[in-house]
Amino acid sequence: MTPEDLRETIARQFGRSLHVRTLDTGSCAVCEQEIRLLAAPHYDLNRLGFFFTPAPRHADLLLVTGPMIRAFAVAARKSYDAMPGPKIVVATGACALGGVYPEDPFTHGAVDAVLPVDVWIPGCPPSPLALLHGLGVAVGRLADKVRDLPFTEANDPERSRGAS
Amino acid sequence: MTLWFIRGLRRGVVTTRYPARPDASAASLPTPPAFRPQGLTRQIADRLAAICPSGALRRDGSVLVYDVGRCTACGRCAAQAPDAVIRSGEFELATTDRSALIKNIPVREEAR
Repeated sequence: MTPEDLRETIARQFGRSLHVRTLDTGSCAVCEQEIRLLAAPHYDLNRLGFFFTPAPRHADLLLVTGPMIRAFAVAARKSYDAMPGPKIVVATGACALGGVYPEDPFTHGAVDAVLPVDVWIPGCPPSPLALLHGLGVAVGRLADKVRDLPFTEANDPERSRGAS
Repeated sequence: MTLWFIRGLRRGVVTTRYPARPDASAASLPTPPAFRPQGLTRQIADRLAAICPSGALRRDGSVLVYDVGRCTACGRCAAQAPDAVIRSGEFELATTDRSALIKNIPVREEAR
């Protein structure tokens, strides 16, 4: 199933509602703090149709934080397997994306090593706004525009030469 | 609240678009750095790659390979080379393609 099919299926089958299960694979818990803020009145995740669920069996989306320590890999895999399809895995934060911790005997270093990741949310930690945007990208409600960001100075004469 | 409830009942839509309005705190969020190729020499690029604590920067020939996904926006590169590194202001960086987060920044040749 391609990501496009998955997105279409989610739009059709889930309508406007999506249930999120968070999974901490050894993060410092700041990502969790930001995720918790999503449910606070200021960001109010529920107004966008997202809900947190305590059980992977009820979840459509797995929000994974942390560098995927090896001791947790089996539990992460079981959580993923317990989720009903179609399902989305979102890697959240710099640790989950391969930064901060290199691969070593204690950690896989990135979520990709264990789970098939569909959406990557950078940030250390990603702010609640970035997380909301990431959830929007995950269900295809918001466009993916990262490829167009050059990360060089605006109006730079060499900009066209460098950005791939 | 009441208005929102009645509108929801009438239209059958109880969710809002994102963002409903621009967020006031967005301007003060820590954001990953952007680079100015004008001030980025090989020497500076190597120094930035050496001090990056999360391995987000690496020089490959005449490009600085910048993995935004690994960046923790700690600001060490901006403190080290304020002429070459500026604040990008970008924080909505979620993507469905990991390789879209890896940017190639041109590095200036030293002689010029």
